[in-house]
Amino acid sequence: MIGSVPATALAASPPVAESQLVIAPLLIVLVAAVGSLLFGRWTRARIGVSLLGGAAYAVAVAAIDWYIVLAPSAPGAATYQVGGWPAPFGITLVADGLSAFMLTMVAILGVASLVFSTRVLPEIDRRSYYFPLFHFLALGVTGAFLTGDLFNLFVWFEVMLMASYIFVAYYGGPQHTRAAFWYVALNLLASAVFLLAVGGIYATTGTLNMADLSRRLADPAAYGIDPRSVLGLYGLLLSVFAIKAGLVPFQFWIPTAYRAAPPQITALLAGATKKVGIYAIIRLSFTVFADAPVAVDLTVPGTGLAVAGNSPLPFVGAVLFVMAAASILVGGLGAVGRESIEGVLAYSSIGQVGFIAVPVAIAATTTSPELRQFGIVAALVYALNHTLAKGLLFLAVGAVRTATGTSSLSDLGGLAGRSPPLAISFFVGALALVGIPPLSGFFGKFLVFDVAARAEAPSVLALLLAGSLLTIAYATRTWNRSFWGARTAAVEEATTDSVQLAVLGVLAAAIIAVGVGFEPVYEFADAAAEAALDADAYVDAVDPADASDVDLEAGGEGGETGGEHE
Amino acid sequence: MTGVILAGVIGALFALGTFLLLRRDLIRVVWGLAIISQAANVYLLAMGGIAEGTAETVPVLEGHGHEIHVPMAVADPLVQALVLTAIVIGFGMTAFALVLSYRVYEEHGTLDVSKLGDRE
Repeated sequence: MIGSVPATALAASPPVAESQLVIAPLLIVLVAAVGSLLFGRWTRARIGVSLLGGAAYAVAVAAIDWYIVLAPSAPGAATYQVGGWPAPFGITLVADGLSAFMLTMVAILGVASLVFSTRVLPEIDRRSYYFPLFHFLALGVTGAFLTGDLFNLFVWFEVMLMASYIFVAYYGGPQHTRAAFWYVALNLLASAVFLLAVGGIYATTGTLNMADLSRRLADPAAYGIDPRSVLGLYGLLLSVFAIKAGLVPFQFWIPTAYRAAPPQITALLAGATKKVGIYAIIRLSFTVFADAPVAVDLTVPGTGLAVAGNSPLPFVGAVLFVMAAASILVGGLGAVGRESIEGVLAYSSIGQVGFIAVPVAIAATTTSPELRQFGIVAALVYALNHTLAKGLLFLAVGAVRTATGTSSLSDLGGLAGRSPPLAISFFVGALALVGIPPLSGFFGKFLVFDVAARAEAPSVLALLLAGSLLTIAYATRTWNRSFWGARTAAVEEATTDSVQLAVLGVLAAAIIAVGVGFEPVYEFADAAAEAALDADAYVDAVDPADASDVDLEAGGEGGETGGEHE
Repeated sequence: MTGVILAGVIGALFALGTFLLLRRDLIRVVWGLAIISQAANVYLLAMGGIAEGTAETVPVLEGHGHEIHVPMAVADPLVQALVLTAIVIGFGMTAFALVLSYRVYEEHGTLDVSKLGDRE
């Protein structure tokens, strides 16, 4: 019934776990947000509440990891029915392997960024709404990972976006307001598209609960559904998620927004909100829409390119692959020519998301279940590496700015001699991006290449190789221009902050630790991939009530919440 | 018939919103966004299914003061709940976009999109 649990353990644990642990991270962040808002006047109290909230959040996520996913007798997935309304009528929160893996990444980076923030803030503005917004951003990200309802996913996206709009406009200068306006306009449009897809899916299937959707789409005849229009509606959703993930052709907002936001927030935008897009693509493609019997045939006549099947997955794979390939090239080429560190890193994260999406695309197009699971594992491991490495690098930009007041490559030089700890941390992050053993990046790159090799796709390998060479080029250039060479005036007067450097050191140590002790990380990613692919286990965990089970006193047309069509 | 009219109105709203979104004036862009989100809301409401209203389909009159008779045809309440949420979110976003465009005006001295400076 539940994939990753051995048969003996299954007998001991209940098949369906209802756990209040699932909602704990959400409540903790909400309390932290409200608490830090209440203590608006007392800076120390506000910082204290925020740090306490961050620590409690990390503990809650660790508890979910252990008690729901990793412990020997763990159920593998747990749900919380908000307000006691049974699925599919109420909002269901689901924590399974995939959600837990994503939450863990966010918890590590979030706490690092939070601690870092306490040392940057005095410069910016002590009385601003920085910390409440920080928690609301985390709230939106957490909710998006935990929700089991499509419309609720839309709401969490909005919570996350609202906070991120304000952060992009945070410094309030000309380029910040301009970047924020573009970002807002694009995402408002994306929200409208999301609503269109949600409405269409509801009208077609009569439900918005993901588990219920998955069950109904797997057997549309039994529920009287015509699943054909679902493919187009999912295409709309895919475009919304691609905007969040920043895949080409939806990448254009990234460079301006990433440079406008404070660096420690950009670390979260790249490390957490981008991953929400990736998570949504994986969750909805593989858990929800995978089994819908929709004939897809994307064979290009005369080229031998054939992608076809009786599921939306080949379509998802083909579209995702084109976007990922373009992202790798656009991101890599763009990053080589930037004139500031955060500019390089912003383009770099466009390319790195391409590296995450390539194995997902291969997983979607392949027919082999082993390769499919392996593809998701590769994508998740690469996503973890990207979160840690890019988070570290953006925080390093923050530290460089605190120390020197600039992050433009032409004003920097010789930082390695001025502050060796900063240089070593940056070096570790850059090497993790490039993929040098024994760092986390090595296994990320290795698995992605391995997936392409197992899929026997030499052109994909060539593309990945080109992307990797570009990564080496821009990482080396950034390092040479800012950390080596003659010290500039800005670097000569630099004074680094010890707490900031400590945060960088911890993240660098985490990157090395993931690389050295890779076995448990791989097992966790494997459990996450299994959870993503095992739609039956997901449906069983949520256990949505059937319309015919619902006892309405007078009976009549039944308790169908679904669309009452003409 | 209702369905055709509704489809026409939604289509016209989307067209108008897209037209405004492509203007150079920032305020018109915000208008365009607001109209597109409203069009999406109307669309969402229509997704609950449209049926001609009769005296039997008015739940308030039928059930008022008495026990509600379930077999009575009622409109799908879920889409209405969804739209309510979407309206509130859209309202907040529009307000924010308007404030932001005022701030853009303060910083740049213009509301012309093409004069907001280089996008690097």
